[in-house]
Amino acid sequence: MNLVRSELLKIRTTSTWWIFGLISLPLWILALLFNWLQTDALAGGTLEDVPAEQADQIQAVQSADSLAANIYTNGQFFGLLIVMLLGIIVVTSEFFHQTVTTTFLTAPHRTAVMMAKLVAGAVIAMLFWLVTTALNLVFGALILNSVDVGAQFGSGAVWRAVGLNALAYLLWSVLGVGIGVLIRSQIGATVTGILLYLGGSIGAIAVLALLASKYGEWINKLQVAVPSLASSLMVSGAEIPGNPPRWVGAAVLIGYAVLAGVIGALTLRRRDIS
Amino acid sequence: MSDGQRSPTTDSGQIVVSGLTKQYKNVRAVDNLSFTVASGRVTGFLGPNGAGKTTTLRMLLNLVTPSGGGATIGGQRYVDLADPLRHVGAVLEASSAHKGRTGINHLRVICAAAGLPKQRADEALALVGLTPAAKRKFKGYSLGMKQRLGIAAAMLGDPRVLILDEPANGLDPEGIRWMRGFLKGLAHEGRTVLVSSHLLSEMQLLADDVVIIAAGKLIRQGPVEQVLGSMAQGGQVRVRTPQADELVAALRAQSATVETGEHGVLLVGGLDAPAIGKVALAAKVELHELTPERPDLERVFLELTAGKAGIR
Repeated sequence: MNLVRSELLKIRTTSTWWIFGLISLPLWILALLFNWLQTDALAGGTLEDVPAEQADQIQAVQSADSLAANIYTNGQFFGLLIVMLLGIIVVTSEFFHQTVTTTFLTAPHRTAVMMAKLVAGAVIAMLFWLVTTALNLVFGALILNSVDVGAQFGSGAVWRAVGLNALAYLLWSVLGVGIGVLIRSQIGATVTGILLYLGGSIGAIAVLALLASKYGEWINKLQVAVPSLASSLMVSGAEIPGNPPRWVGAAVLIGYAVLAGVIGALTLRRRDIS
Repeated sequence: MSDGQRSPTTDSGQIVVSGLTKQYKNVRAVDNLSFTVASGRVTGFLGPNGAGKTTTLRMLLNLVTPSGGGATIGGQRYVDLADPLRHVGAVLEASSAHKGRTGINHLRVICAAAGLPKQRADEALALVGLTPAAKRKFKGYSLGMKQRLGIAAAMLGDPRVLILDEPANGLDPEGIRWMRGFLKGLAHEGRTVLVSSHLLSEMQLLADDVVIIAAGKLIRQGPVEQVLGSMAQGGQVRVRTPQADELVAALRAQSATVETGEHGVLLVGGLDAPAIGKVALAAKVELHELTPERPDLERVFLELTAGKAGIR
């Protein structure tokens, strides 16, 4: 527990956390505006000219549950990215500033250090989730009321989405810490993380689509194996026809997080600090 | 410092390195190295750049995994110490703090991890004279202040054993003087102080014992005087006189050896300074200088490590 306290103190005593907080705020506002417009459009039913095969999907998205879930998990796209980057920095800043020597002198059992970093990353992730969710519940309810959908606070699906959103924040912070251990360079790890999060999904979709056209449609189902796609599946507001169930996305993401944590711990144990 | 100050109670701070080896891909950085470091004394760990000093210290502290052999501090491996900071303090790099963190917070982070009370951070800062800079960020520290902060961090747990890697690097003369007094004081309290350096003149003033390595191998270990003594240069004495011919004749009559050095300096062997003075007086020769030549650590070091230094 001493180690976790120390890790949290490390984060608190540098400017990183509030810089990331400051970056998050405009991104959250941007996301809120976008989701406001989208909610408005969907609730107003202005999207009528859709092909028949997509009608089911649209209907699912248009449901009150889905609209509410979407708005209460607002800011998630960039929020997860921020939380992952914080997880990366929790590790890479130790190598960047050469404080890792002191850290391991203080705590020679490196697995314990890794666990402390994972827990500290998770605590930060939960704080970001908590603040974002609190804001979402206030402004989301206003928006939903303004489009006559209602706040939907009584809906189980809404709270499930909020809960899964918390899980997503948690898992991406773990992934961040894992990436940070594997790629010590601050810039290298950050770029890799961003690519994995943003570009990775697009690239993976393109590659999988190419493979699918060659080997058959089933390959498209592998999309869920891509971390960012698994994540977006997991936090999609409601079950959408044609997509794998949300728990699959959750399982895949948990798998990646555990893998990142374990490989990270093993790597850290063996590494020479010179 | 005399051997009399070593007491059995402080001997739990003894460092034992035995058969330590580190093989990198193409280089054997440390090669079957064994030595011991006693408590209550300052031990200089000497070697040319690239001799394997830092690698040895890092293996001792469980930061680098040895390819063979091992090292213990007070009979235990570093990784097995229950509260490492309460046993061992180490200063390895001057620049090992987050640039955006204040000095006091740097120490508090370590206190938190080691389970030490927060006020130890203030006490350690005061100990190294950094209290006025406590709330300044690390990036605003001078090199000397960074070294002091490193020492403060090492002293947080009030350890029996101190290990410092090139602590004099980048210090100004005042800083070096302070460091020398500080480390000697710690040894005087019965602590073990192991200091690596390639600055030999500094070690001659600071160390009680020396461990000299080159190319990863042990060259010589022992008390400074003993290591110097083993390399004594035949005890020559520098003599300057306006009447060189008469003095040379008188000295040779006493079967002394005389060589002529630069600027008319005579290097006399076989007689010590008082004897030479007596001869000069008897011969009514005027003396301008009479200096026994001491072998200095620098020369011993260069001779001992000749051909083993440099790039490997």
